[in-house]
Amino acid sequence: MEVLDNLMLGFSVAVSPMHLLYALIGVLLGTLIGVLPGVGPVATIAMLLPITFNLSPVAALIMLAGIYYGAQYGGSTSAILVNLPGETASVVTCLDGYQMARQGRAGPALAISAIGSFFAGCCATLIIALAAPPLAEVALKFGPAEYFSLMVLGLVAATVLAHGSLVKAIAMVVLGLLLGLIGTDVNSGVLRFTFGIPELSDGIGFAVVAMGMFGVAEIIGNLELKDKREVFTSNVKGLFPTVDDFKRSWKAILRGTALGSFLGILPGGGSILAAFGAYTLEKKMSKNPERFGKGAIEGVAAPESANNAGAQTSFIPMLTLGIPGNAVMALMIGALMIQGIAPGPQVMNEKPELFWGLIASMWIGNFFLVVLNLPLIGMWIKLLTVPYRYLYPSILVFMAIGVYSLSNNPFDLVVMAVFGLLGYICVKLECEPAPMILGFILGPLMEENLRRAMLLSRGDPFVFVSPSKPISLGFLIASAVLLVIVMLPALRKKREEVFVEDAT
Amino acid sequence: MRRAVLAAALAAASSLAFAQAWPSRPVQIVVPYAAGGPVDVSARIVAPKLQQAFGQPFVVENRPGAGGNIGADFVAKAAPDGHTLLMGAIATHAINPTLYPKIPYDPVRDFRHVTLLIQVPNVLVVNNDLPVRSVKDLIDYARKNPGKLDFASGSTGSTGHLAGELFKQLTGTYMVHIPYKGSAPATADLFAGRVHLMFDNLASALPSIRTGKVRGIAVTTLQRSGFVKDLPTLHESGLKDFDLTTWWGIMAPGKTPDAVVEQLAAELARVMQQADVRERFAAMGSDGPSVRTPREFTAFVERELRTYAGLVKRSGASVD
Amino acid sequence: MQIKSPKDFWAGLMFITFGLFFVVWALYNYQMGSAVRMGPAYFPAVLGGLLTLLGTIVLSQSFAISGPRVPTINFRPLIMILAGCLVYGYSVKPLGVVVSTGLLVFMAALGGHEFKWKEVGILYVFLALFSVLVFVKGLGLPFPLWPQFLEG
Repeated sequence: MEVLDNLMLGFSVAVSPMHLLYALIGVLLGTLIGVLPGVGPVATIAMLLPITFNLSPVAALIMLAGIYYGAQYGGSTSAILVNLPGETASVVTCLDGYQMARQGRAGPALAISAIGSFFAGCCATLIIALAAPPLAEVALKFGPAEYFSLMVLGLVAATVLAHGSLVKAIAMVVLGLLLGLIGTDVNSGVLRFTFGIPELSDGIGFAVVAMGMFGVAEIIGNLELKDKREVFTSNVKGLFPTVDDFKRSWKAILRGTALGSFLGILPGGGSILAAFGAYTLEKKMSKNPERFGKGAIEGVAAPESANNAGAQTSFIPMLTLGIPGNAVMALMIGALMIQGIAPGPQVMNEKPELFWGLIASMWIGNFFLVVLNLPLIGMWIKLLTVPYRYLYPSILVFMAIGVYSLSNNPFDLVVMAVFGLLGYICVKLECEPAPMILGFILGPLMEENLRRAMLLSRGDPFVFVSPSKPISLGFLIASAVLLVIVMLPALRKKREEVFVEDAT
Repeated sequence: MRRAVLAAALAAASSLAFAQAWPSRPVQIVVPYAAGGPVDVSARIVAPKLQQAFGQPFVVENRPGAGGNIGADFVAKAAPDGHTLLMGAIATHAINPTLYPKIPYDPVRDFRHVTLLIQVPNVLVVNNDLPVRSVKDLIDYARKNPGKLDFASGSTGSTGHLAGELFKQLTGTYMVHIPYKGSAPATADLFAGRVHLMFDNLASALPSIRTGKVRGIAVTTLQRSGFVKDLPTLHESGLKDFDLTTWWGIMAPGKTPDAVVEQLAAELARVMQQADVRERFAAMGSDGPSVRTPREFTAFVERELRTYAGLVKRSGASVD
Repeated sequence: MQIKSPKDFWAGLMFITFGLFFVVWALYNYQMGSAVRMGPAYFPAVLGGLLTLLGTIVLSQSFAISGPRVPTINFRPLIMILAGCLVYGYSVKPLGVVVSTGLLVFMAALGGHEFKWKEVGILYVFLALFSVLVFVKGLGLPFPLWPQFLEG
């Protein structure tokens, strides 16, 4: 078995004491910056690049990769504990993870997220080892038309995120789409809705919006509750998932891993759909979807697995084609090029120790993460027993520093405050922020790909459904089917639903 | 911390002996782009070297936004005492002044142009299935199939876009410009054949040329590049004076004293001769800059500004 | 006509306002183009129209179906927290992390239920130390520690 030989080679590289050390440093640092809101893996890796110049290419790559997936782990911690999504994927984790924390079940939420991520990481690593080159060819099949149709499917899925009124959820998605258009229009170069503010010309940062809508709005909402909440939750029930939790989660983890692994391969923004998609899938498969958004453990297990699987498989286009799927991958390519290694299909043959060493180290890194994170859960839970009057100023300070560091510009904090206000209003009016955030992420991608597809086809609107583009056609059919599935129960239940709304 | 306060107090006291005292506190190198791009990386390569030489921290600070204009404007208006520097680039100092209807700084007068660090050619690459092996083939093909060819670029107003527009003007052909958000997605569509050609940055195109994923046709500079010696220039292929180079370098606010500028330029010249720095800059596709002194750099910026003013106007590209 | 569901009423109004704004602004300032060669106004105008339509549906429902009242708004936490973010942003460069963290912590604490100088003071010292050690020293963020006028 050639793969086996290769993996042996990889492990022999990865388990050398120095490489183990760099993997450990990477995942530790990654976990830290993942937990701290705002300071993301991109900024951290950029700052560490000069240090990696003095390392061997393998060591450098192992450490940087560790930071990347370490940050994915850490990001879910702050999402679950304090409703602070540091990156796109954790927005979904907030929905049920934070609710679990409020019910005193932060422990099981964190544990299932770590276990799910570990399982997903192992599977995805195996997928990279077995099938990276053919999968990269699949990624190349995705052009503007395919991406547009995928985004449409993603948007339909976004409405499933809501558990209240469907019309309001769709309206929030559209609002998000519109807000996402702020900035420079990719096709014409025109600055749209920037009102002469140069800081808006590159659009509004996702992290700023998410922290405003979730983090800031949540703090304000908590503070105005009449009853003084001394501690965050009074009764913490159990550190680890129960047997019932596992029963509910294992299928979610499997499905999340499969979906995430696939979407992660697509370099044009497929991976951001992974967590959202997995959540939607679980909610639709579930026998009692009304539990979602109120602390369903599947709602944590699925997106976390999908997210981590996607994070691993997003290495595929970079390693095999030299095409970075996201900003972190672009940085790794930069790091490799400065080391004198050009990423691309030749790396596997010319530098097998680098390619397979990295893959083996991913598995080791994931192992480190689960070993590190499971004991840490006890500590995180303790954090929740800190009185809220200490907790919220600390969260605010971390958010402020993190957001400011994004571009060293006070304007980002203004934007965060504005979205804090919008988030607060939305809570008051029972408009859910999650669908808006997904719209916000997908809006620009969708428009860009739509217009690019039209340019390339010289204005043929049938390019999305032509039989020569079966993938695009398939996504659109799936969107239509999903839309019907979503609408049916909503129409049927309309009358009952209206009267059961609680008056909190 | 106390030492920093002390040093600061001392610096304030001796502000008369200004030039000798530089740098009296940490120096900020502003990169007008997000962390991680080649401009950012080169700042992070030279910063520790300068720190070693001058004994003060040189801190890289990213101030992205508006195609680099926000960071450039910040430095243009910073105190001209040598403690705020800019990684100025072709976008901020040659293209944007024409591309944007109004920018808040003067790329020549508001800056001292200290040292040009890097010049990288663009390279014309085509999809492997396109029956084109030379510049002449491409022109013939474009003439026979008017409006059929698509050329990709990383953004409207980028060197890749402008190179394509210049090519169209000089050859009288018509191709459709397909803008992307960064060159990575553009490359993916080039590999798959959804777009036909691209004037890509040499450093990012090199690996795919070498492994045969795409076909290199020519470079956009007057001289051939040391990295792809077998590729002709567009200039020698019949497109007279086709000369486009991506560049960036260290700049300072306009009223920075000569003494500081010269000290910095001299040290940067030394730094760039160091083997490890040369090697890393070479990895970014640079054969080494063509101008050396601050005076030459200023003249270079003025020349580039004129070239791109014409090019941007004729291409019809604008950001407003 | 009587508003039966105030939450929906206001939400509908909010959507309509946003939607109309995007439509009008896009049509007034940017080129529409055609479906074949879409201009920069096309996408926002279509979406803005859609949002206005959805807002109208929500609004009209609010007259038909009864729902809960909008909870009262407590302005103190709202203003203190949002203002704290702004003050931090505009004070961190001129005044340094140590001072601006203080401003944010005290403003945030004033927005809470109770304010005890000693508690907030201890919290501030802890957070300022943490910020300096972890973010500035550890992660190397380019933030000044002290006010600029002290650094010369």
